Order: sequence, then C-alpha cells, then structure tokens
Amino acid sequence: MSIFRKHKSQVDRSAADRARHKKKIEKAIKESIKDVVAEESIIGQNGKKKIRIPVRGLKEYRFVYGSGEQKQVGSAGKHHIRPGQKISKRAAKPAKGTQESGAGNEEGAEKYEVEITLEELAEYLFSDLELPDLERKRFRFIEDEKFKRKGYRFEGIRPRLSKKETLKRKIRRKKMAIASGTYDPDSDERFPFHKDDMKYHHMRPTPKENTAAVVFLLMDVSGSMTQTRKYIARSYFFLMYQFLRHRYENIEVVFISHTTTAKQVSEDEFFKRISVGGTLISSSLELQREIIKKEYHPNSWNIYTFYCGDGDNWFDDNARAIELIRELKEMNQLMVYAEINEKHDPDEEDTLIDFKGPNFSAWQEDLPDSLWQLLTQLVDDKFKKVVLRGPNNIWDVFKLIFGVKN
Amino acid sequence: MSDWTIEELQHWDNKICQIGEKHGLDWYEIDYEIIDYHEMISAMAYTGLPTHYRHWSFGKAYERTHTLYNAGMTGLPYEMIINTDPSISYLMTENQMFIHILTMAHCVGHSDFFKNNRMFAHTDAANALSRFKSAAKYIRSLIEDPTIGISDVEKVLDACHAIKYQVPRFPGIKRRSHSELKQLYAQKLLDDTTGAYDDFDLEKVPLERDYNLLAFMTEHSRNLKDWQRNLLSIIEDNSSYFIPQALTKIMNEGWAVLMHEKILNELTLPDKYHLPFIKLHNQVIRPQLGDMNPYFLGYRIFKDIEKKYGFEECKFVREVHNDITFLRKYLTQELCDDMNLFTYSHKKVHGYSTIDNVSDERGWEMVRDDLIKNIGLNSIPIVYVEEITKQHTLILRHEHDGRDLDIPYAKKVHQYIEELWGDEVKLFTVLEGDDWEF
Repeated sequence: MSIFRKHKSQVDRSAADRARHKKKIEKAIKESIKDVVAEESIIGQNGKKKIRIPVRGLKEYRFVYGSGEQKQVGSAGKHHIRPGQKISKRAAKPAKGTQESGAGNEEGAEKYEVEITLEELAEYLFSDLELPDLERKRFRFIEDEKFKRKGYRFEGIRPRLSKKETLKRKIRRKKMAIASGTYDPDSDERFPFHKDDMKYHHMRPTPKENTAAVVFLLMDVSGSMTQTRKYIARSYFFLMYQFLRHRYENIEVVFISHTTTAKQVSEDEFFKRISVGGTLISSSLELQREIIKKEYHPNSWNIYTFYCGDGDNWFDDNARAIELIRELKEMNQLMVYAEINEKHDPDEEDTLIDFKGPNFSAWQEDLPDSLWQLLTQLVDDKFKKVVLRGPNNIWDVFKLIFGVKN
Repeated sequence: MSDWTIEELQHWDNKICQIGEKHGLDWYEIDYEIIDYHEMISAMAYTGLPTHYRHWSFGKAYERTHTLYNAGMTGLPYEMIINTDPSISYLMTENQMFIHILTMAHCVGHSDFFKNNRMFAHTDAANALSRFKSAAKYIRSLIEDPTIGISDVEKVLDACHAIKYQVPRFPGIKRRSHSELKQLYAQKLLDDTTGAYDDFDLEKVPLERDYNLLAFMTEHSRNLKDWQRNLLSIIEDNSSYFIPQALTKIMNEGWAVLMHEKILNELTLPDKYHLPFIKLHNQVIRPQLGDMNPYFLGYRIFKDIEKKYGFEECKFVREVHNDITFLRKYLTQELCDDMNLFTYSHKKVHGYSTIDNVSDERGWEMVRDDLIKNIGLNSIPIVYVEEITKQHTLILRHEHDGRDLDIPYAKKVHQYIEELWGDEVKLFTVLEGDDWEF
C-alpha cells in the first residue's frame, strides 16, 4: 500500500539557483542578446514578457578522459556490422550510459536556453554603456511647473492659512503676556487670536521633470524596402525603443508607415504590411506633425523620432522633407534619420554623424543633392543621421547615436 | 486531459503491491508525489531530493532539461524514485493512466533494489532525507551569514563538485583516520617477522594511498576554516550516498524493467491500458543505435539469468552484485551477439569513426571489457593522494590505465584543489606515454 499525495504547489524552488546561474553566465547572455535583438518582435511588449535566449553552457570541470581515449560501446540493433566499418556521425555520438556518472566531456558544446524578461534584457544591453554620462548628455526632460508648499508668509489667502503655525504664535504670545503680567491665566478673560498670529503657507512654483515620452517610429514601406531591409529596420527600432523605455516611466509608441502617403498603423501592420509605390518622406513627417499637435504637446511629452528608410526619396520632395525635419527637430529631444544601405562603405566618411563640412566633389554638381547630403546641414545635438549596413552594425550605430565610445 | 483519479491510482497500486509481495519482493513503502511538469523538471534538477542545498549548478540542470524538453529532444522520465525510506517517487499530472501504472510497477522494482542490493547497505535510507535537509539548512545559514556570503560558499562548493567523484568506489569500507591508520601500521611493524615492513616510514602522510580527496583534505588541510571543512564533509557525504547508484545503474534499471514486466503480465489490464503499455515498455527496452541503453542491457541480462537459472537466482543477483561484477559474470557471448554489441572509436588519422570489435568469437570479450570500462564510475579517472611533503605540498597521482586525462579539464580541477588545499598541489599523470606534471 503506497501513499499518494497531490503536491502542494510551493514556491518555485529552483528560482534562486536559476537566477544565480543566470548571473554566472551573464557574459554569455550578453553575447546572445545581440542576436536576439535582430530577431524578436517585441517592441511594444511590456517588460515582464519572457523571451528565451540560447547560451553556451557553463562548464563544470571534473577529471575526465580525453576525447577518443575511450572506446564507445553500443548496440547495432538489427544492422549487420563488421570490424573496420566506417560509421555515420549519428552512431558516433557519445554513449548515453556514461552520462549518469557525469563524464563531462560533451558538455563543452552544450547549448541551452535561458529565460529572461525584457526588463532584464534591457538591463544587460545597456549596462555595458556608460549610462550615467550618457544620460546627462543625451536625455533632457522637458520641464513642467508644479506648485509646492515652501515656508510661510504673513500675507496670504484664507485657504492657505496654517493652523499649526498660527496657533504656535498665539501660544507664544500668550506665554509672553503671562510672563510680563499683562494677562492672568486664572481669570475668565479670553485670550483671542490676533491678526499678527496668522501665518500662511507659501506656494512656490517648482520645475518638475516630465517622464512621459512618445517615440515615433517612421518607416518607408515602399516597394524598394525589401523584407531584409524591414528586418534591419525592426531590429534597429527595437533597440531604440528598449533604450528609451529603460529611461522613461511612461512611454508610448506611434508607428507611421508611408509610401507616397502616410498612415498610422499597429505594430503588426507596421512590420508586415507590404506596399508598393513611390516614396514621399514628407508625407510621414506631416502626419507626425499632425499627431504631435493633436495628442502629444511638446511641453508635456519628451518626443523622439526615429526614421528608417532606404533614402530613395523623390527628388522634388527633398526640399519639403528638409523643411519639415527642421521644424520637427525643435520639438524633439532627438530625431534620427537612418538610411539602410547595405553597400555603404564605412570608410567613405570619417564619421557618420558629425560630418558637417560642405561637399566639394565636383562631379556631383550635375546631380541634385540626395536627401542624405541635404540633411548634413541639419545635423546637430538634436538631429542625427546614420547608415544601417545590416543587422550586425546596428549596435555600433546605436552607440554612435548616443555618443558612446567603444 | 488526465484520464485518472487518485482512487484509480490506489486501486492499481493495491494490485501491483499484491503481485510484488507474491514474488517475494521487499521494498520500502512508496510515497508518490503528484506533480506538474515544471515541478518534475525541478525535481530532476535536484536529483529527486525534496530538499537540497542551493547551488547554481541545479539551476543550470533545470534550464538544460527545460530546453531539451521544449525542443522535443527529450521526454521527461516516466519514473523517478529516490533511495529513501519511505521511497519518494513522482508522478506527473500530465501523464496518462497507463504510464502511471507502468511507473508504479517500475518503482516497486527500484525500491526493492534500493532496499536489498548490498551496495546500498550503508546509505542509511531512513535518515537520508533529514541529512540532506540539515545540510541544506546549514549551507543556507552560511549563505546568509554576512561574514561569509554566497560567493565564498559557491567557491568552495564549485571546487568540491569538481572532485566529488574522487571518493572510494566501493561502499561499506569504513574510513580510518590518520591516527587509527598509524596505530594499525605500528602494530603491523611490531608483528612483522618477514622484514616486509623494515623500510616502512611510519611518519609519512598518508600511510597508504588515499582515494578520498575530500575526506583527506578535510583531515589534513591547514588552511581550511571550520565552515569550509564542514562543506567538504557535506559533499563527501552526498557522494557516498550517490556512489551506489552510479555503481548499479544497469542492474537497477534492468531489475525494475523485469519487475514491471512481471507485474504487468499478471495485472490483467483492460485493453485500453494494455496495448499502449506494451508499446511504452518496448520503447523503454529498445536498443539505441550506437548507444548503450541501460534498461535494454540490464533487462536482457536479467531475462537471460531467469531463463537459465530461475527467478530465485535473479533475486540473489540483485542482492550481491554491482554493474561491474554483473557484466563480468552474466554477459555472455551469446547475449552480446544477440544484442549486436560493438565498440567503435574516432580515428584521428581518418577523421571519422570506425568499428573496432563486434561480438563475434574473437571480439566479444573486448567488447565486454570496453563496456565495463565505460560504465558508471569507470568512465571517471581515479586520482589519489600520494603524500604530503615537508613544505605541505599535496602530491596527487592519476591512476593511469591507458586512458589519458583531458588536460584542459584537469588543469581546472587542479586549480580547484589548490584553492581548497591552500598550499601547493602537484598532480602527476601520464600523457601519451610520458610523465606529466601539473
């Protein structure tokens, strides 16, 4: 007769050891995260969402025999075998029978997944960067005014009367009166409040940091934006979003996709919608301006704009686009124009961002300036332009934007 | 989802127990915990123990099983049972009734094995749980101690884990302290009339090779703090608890399969359970190409013993043998050939593996011997303490049997031992025919 017991679900007993293990393989996690950044569709998710990332295992060292020192033994089932026969890889894997005792040779190649939340992911991602410095430099909070009580005044309006201070003053006056003999506490005489007792709270306007932010993600979805390019854009957006989310309490995201016309869309549509048609960057900028006017007043929102496209704007739209960017960047904390160009040679320009000098290339005179060139004049603290060559340089671009040294 | 109730489990358990008793099995009472799959993975990570000390390696074990399971690369075990009295076993909520029936019958076999096999005689099953519990509690108190903390505790545990198999391989032999050994040898010197002990140095430490690295360091290190010494003892105690299981993996599984088959043949299961049951049973004892499935091997040998000598002999075998003696004595050429066992190895020159021996008349003994070299603790190198020098350097030697150590791993372990010992540690081995020193 055995005993059967439904297990009382207690706390997750392995949680602490898992967390400790996770801490130990932080480095491996950090390495893997850069791949994850290029994969996951998690932009709008809340920070508690868990994702699984593959990491290389932490080795547990023991005395073991070198590989090949030990002959493997196995069963060949119904197969016909003879000595000297070459055998396939599948049959050559290490014998399972020895695993129990922990012969750890095969552990070297071991890979498995660790579960982390998006919050932890952001933590890992940005802990490498010199954040404190970065924050001071790159993050401004728009300021709001709030009234706060500060000190007391003799003048004031009735609702701000401080009863405590007033009473204190009255008591003090009363004690003085008794001491100087002008008032006898044993008499029935009242000792009324006097106008001079009255004290009022003083209200002072204090600046308050506003921690609400809105991120505008603008993307060109015209025919020239292939699936691969969108993939790059997505990774880039993800990183920007995570970084800002790391910093601001409230953060909202607005997705705007455009061809020749712009449309506000959901995250899903943003990345999946396939469109054909030309490119008018100004259309998205105009829509953004409209949305800002309607919903996100720059005085109460920290606005960030990330534009991503392949730079194939129609020439006659360039002037309009420049004008709009000039106008919008003043409302923004930061506005970044990113161009996806797989063939871009990083050596062509010394730096992608700080290039401000006039362009002297004679052979270009005939052509109207490209948007990329035109944008050069706008580059300053609030406006950056970058080139995304592929998923691998997103992290570098990120660091470039936020001025982190490698 | 589940097609069973606790009452049904009890119903089948009653029948299983009756049949078990009829066959003369004698097992610890079994305590079935019904848990979900997360808890199952946790239980596996902690080798089935309901309480265990904290260490990141258990977290790693959890993540690994979870990963493999999610990737569909592994199923969770149908059975997990630990050597305690009562035996604790786990049934997974998600499993179907026929799996539970197989698990319960299988567990009776395991528990009977724990209780009767002589390798387990000194594991003190009745108190195992409380030992693990107090060890866990003690380690937690060290972690919470502000003067020690988790990092320092982990340092010691990591090092201990690296040498946790460097303990005596055969249970039941009482360890003698240095002073006891000294007395013993002093007596031998006195009694000696042959002159064999004339050159014996009674002042050396240790007086004879010590295979128990953890116990030796606990006894002789001059740098370990008390709490560190205690940790070493805890891990050594853990090892001595687990060693019998590593020594009897094949027998234990073979016995449990033999028993669940026997029980099931007499259970008269309804068809809806019987057919999936047979299918599962066949999966369990299926040979895996190029692999050694311990269920398959152990079951086939026991089956052969039963056929030749009867079930009473099987019961005798499950009491007195361990995997090594079991294979030596009962793995015949006929069986090897029947199971189509072969050995293979990677040829560096060719860049691929070839078959070395098959179980024909010429090769089967080599196949058997290589198999024995591979199983359980035999796949772990033996390192023993040779001496402590005047400068308190610890001299270790690897018992080389033709197989070389993996050098990068050995280097790491050497560092770990040095951390524990606190003085210089020298490790000698043979590499490609030449002496090698760490």
